Amino acid sequence: MDQHSKHPSAAVVPTLRPTDFEVLGTQSSAPVLVRPSRSYWQDAWQRLKSNKRALVSLYLVIGLILFTFVGPLVWRVDPALQDIDQISLAPGADRRALVVEPFSAWDGVTEWQQSQGQSGLRVADSPNTQSVRLKWDASLTAGGYLVYRNIYEPEGMDSLGLPLMEIENPSQAYYEDRLDLQPDVYYYSLVELNDNGQPMGDYQMVTAEVRRVITVDEVIARNLVDDPSALMPGDEVMLAWHPLGTDYLGRDMLARLMAGAQVSLFIGLLAPLLFVSFGVVYGATAGFIGGRLDQLFMRFADFVVALPFLLFMILFQVVFGIGPGESGIIPMLVALVILSWPATARLVRGQILQIREEAYVSAAKLLGASNKYLITRHMIPNTLGVILVTLTFAVPTAIFTEAFLSFIGMGVAPPTASWGSMCNEGLKTMLTHPHELIFPAAMISITVLAFNLLGDGLRDALDARMRSSE
Amino acid sequence: MLGACLDLIEFDMKQSESLPTTDPSSTVPAPGDRMTRAAARQLAIYAAVVVLALVVAMFGLNYLASLTSSAAGMSREAVDVENNIITSYLREEPPQMNSMRSSDAISSMVMAHVMEGLLRYDENSELAPGVAERWEQDGRTVTFWLRDDARWSNGEPVTAHDFEFAWKNVLAPATGSQYAFLLYPILNAEAANNGEVSTDEVGVEAVDDHTLVVTLETPIAYFDRMVAYMTFMPVNQEFFEQTNGRYGADADQMIYNGPFIMTSWVHGASMQLRKNPYYWDADRIKLDGIDYAHMTSDSNTLQNLFKDGQIVIADLTSEMLEEAMFQRWPLSQFMEGTTFYAEFNHRPDRLTRNLNLRKAMLLVHDPSELVNRVIKLPGYVPAETLFPRWVQGMDGSLREEYPLPPLQRDVEKAREHLQMALDELGLEELPPLVFLSSDTPVARIQSEYYQEVFRRYLGIELLIDRQVFRQRLEKMTAGDFDLVGAGWGPDYNDPLTFADLFASWNLNNRGRYSNPELDAQVRIAQSSLDPQERTDAFGEIHRIIRDQAVIMPDYERGYVYVTDPRVKGIVRHVFGAETDFTNAWIDADAGEEQ
Repeated sequence: MDQHSKHPSAAVVPTLRPTDFEVLGTQSSAPVLVRPSRSYWQDAWQRLKSNKRALVSLYLVIGLILFTFVGPLVWRVDPALQDIDQISLAPGADRRALVVEPFSAWDGVTEWQQSQGQSGLRVADSPNTQSVRLKWDASLTAGGYLVYRNIYEPEGMDSLGLPLMEIENPSQAYYEDRLDLQPDVYYYSLVELNDNGQPMGDYQMVTAEVRRVITVDEVIARNLVDDPSALMPGDEVMLAWHPLGTDYLGRDMLARLMAGAQVSLFIGLLAPLLFVSFGVVYGATAGFIGGRLDQLFMRFADFVVALPFLLFMILFQVVFGIGPGESGIIPMLVALVILSWPATARLVRGQILQIREEAYVSAAKLLGASNKYLITRHMIPNTLGVILVTLTFAVPTAIFTEAFLSFIGMGVAPPTASWGSMCNEGLKTMLTHPHELIFPAAMISITVLAFNLLGDGLRDALDARMRSSE
Repeated sequence: MLGACLDLIEFDMKQSESLPTTDPSSTVPAPGDRMTRAAARQLAIYAAVVVLALVVAMFGLNYLASLTSSAAGMSREAVDVENNIITSYLREEPPQMNSMRSSDAISSMVMAHVMEGLLRYDENSELAPGVAERWEQDGRTVTFWLRDDARWSNGEPVTAHDFEFAWKNVLAPATGSQYAFLLYPILNAEAANNGEVSTDEVGVEAVDDHTLVVTLETPIAYFDRMVAYMTFMPVNQEFFEQTNGRYGADADQMIYNGPFIMTSWVHGASMQLRKNPYYWDADRIKLDGIDYAHMTSDSNTLQNLFKDGQIVIADLTSEMLEEAMFQRWPLSQFMEGTTFYAEFNHRPDRLTRNLNLRKAMLLVHDPSELVNRVIKLPGYVPAETLFPRWVQGMDGSLREEYPLPPLQRDVEKAREHLQMALDELGLEELPPLVFLSSDTPVARIQSEYYQEVFRRYLGIELLIDRQVFRQRLEKMTAGDFDLVGAGWGPDYNDPLTFADLFASWNLNNRGRYSNPELDAQVRIAQSSLDPQERTDAFGEIHRIIRDQAVIMPDYERGYVYVTDPRVKGIVRHVFGAETDFTNAWIDADAGEEQ
């Protein structure tokens, strides 16, 4: 521009033409300093994604939801079905079974070929999981007999093992053992008793190798093979498969865990959703309106906090008239909602009080913004992060509460399963069948941990102060 | 410019990525680092001090507790060979040791060690002379001749007056004894207990110091078997009056006439018994003392106590069975003598009043499957009828003399009966039935098993109403159930203790079953003196209960227990002391072999 003005004379005297006054069009070449615009949510998602713990937890939660709602569609086993043949079975146990005739009571006389002609204590029929039939020679001097069973080889009169039955009739020289027979080797011993029930003389011993068996009827009832009519006694079939084993009544653990997850997630998701939303509305009202109403609302919240949860739970069961065999889930839900909202209410009220005093809110007010605008534009977006975090932390708490209440027997009614009640049942057989306790306990732990870590990650991600754009 | 700007954004994003994953403390700016470290060190020191203090406090309190504990002064060994004392446990604290008011099994067990009635049970669980040397029944009159050398623990003789006083006191309405009904066979006893006549008119009289004459209301065949029960034990009137109503509340508020005396009773914790030098048959008693050092019914605790060598006897659960076999412990079996069954509600407004419905349910019920494959507890035996196997007929077991067909599942027949029931009731489908159950582990398994059995075979839904003992009893009495899991144990050694359970007038008949035919048989069994006639009546009752499907028998309860090999002669009775140490002795050598 300067150059033009310095040498005007040297050049042609400019003549202004109408074309000089034409609009050039908008200039867009000027550098604009912007970065790609991202919304609050995109930003939060970005941060959540970069948090590995939170991400894994998120996948776990998604997996859990699939397990709960899609799982039963894939694994179509009735969680209440009792498989009496496979009680308290650990995962991966042997499932082979021989097909035999239906069980019929034994008269104590008939014997199979192998033992005929033998004397002393002998196994009188093929030992299987239906029964082990023992026979011996009646003693003229004895007043009775005592039959023992052991899983270790006895070493003397003191280590014969489990006393099965004291037979007081000396002419009854047989016994049929049916007590909890497993495919294993058993050592049966027989001791003769005198008239006073005291042992006399030495013991006789016999071993029995028990095989797992199943009857044709049971095969048909449980739908184990495609063509049951071709089945002959002596054939081998595979019993129903239980990937995570069975419980104390032979019910499939996997199916029960899925059914239990439904109860846990129902309470775990619905209860926090209800009480957090109530708490939000309550706390926001108190905080926004303020004054005496705030005082009144918050003192009532204090009162609710002081109510004992367990006592209320029991009262609710009574008030709801939970009859025999009815599930206590609904009263549990109501009690949880009624007693858990004050924490959220307090949090939201605090947040609202704080935001109300912010400069931008005052500015908006001065500019004549309506309450509706203030709430939708400033209050809600600024509290949403807190609310979401409360929600995610409330979920594991609710799941835990449900598990605890079911554990002490105040939750679901049998045969419905819940993780808590499964733990309670598994606890009794912890030493012998640990899988009955470990699986539900692990499910509770993993779920609670996943929700907690996810909540932790969400808190970091949703915190407005940590927004990267600032 | 543009490039720089993008760089800036990228840098920002990098920072934002690294932020949540790094430890929050590392983001603290460097100048504060030293301060943070100092604070952390301080925190660590505090934590260490607190943990240390807690550990010290724990040991200190433990030491204090051991000083003041009830077990102080008691041997911590199961078998104290030197002092000839053994250590055992009580399942719970006896509510009281007043024989006139006690009604529970624990009191009964301790009482059998420290007191003795007219008759007692010997080591073979047979009736043996106790304070009475001999006795005789002549129609309605029973005479007991007491021995001269029976003494109280203060040296005074035990006389017939002590029995007369005790029995009349049991019946006095002011005493409020729950077991007063056991004395009802005695003349005027029931009237006296109801306050209609004075207790002076009760048919029991001490003719002299050593002769007790009892007049019965009607002649009964089993009176001698009843007097071994604790309600019939003697009480010294003079001492009783000294205690001002605290009789049996503490170790020093009692005097004893049994093989042992109680030297200490720390409520809720322990009880100490020592040999009674005044006991007439003291030579028979070989132990010098029994310490009940633990009061707990938790089977895991007891098994661990046994494993640690702190108690001489423990009942086993199926969890410990394998371990017990592995340890090669000597195991024994004890049938408690009780039967457990599911009782139907026979009240008119209940569906279970329908005979065909009951029959249908009984037909799919398989006690053998329940016991052997579901409950699986060692010692449990499938029940076939109300009468447990120990109940005697004429020569052998009542059950063998009056056999019933075995209970076997017959689904087809059951469904026929169910259809008939539905037709009779005019129903398309059966509404759910309520199964009242207790909250014990076995009851829990049993109720859920039932639920599945009836659902699978008959399509009947069962709602489980799980209640604690007291609540369940209340609901049973009120008739608030369709089926209830119940059990019955004998009160005295006669089949009648089971046979009259379903008589229409019996208050323990919670299902209100009422059948004149059964009532008539019960009356015969009560009043007849002819053993054959009575046994026939029992056989008939046994048959009616099965035919009318009054109950569904489940199991007879028993225990498998382990004893210390050094202690011999421990006896477990159906009647009297559940665990009886009076005949036990220590064989120190036996332990060394182990």
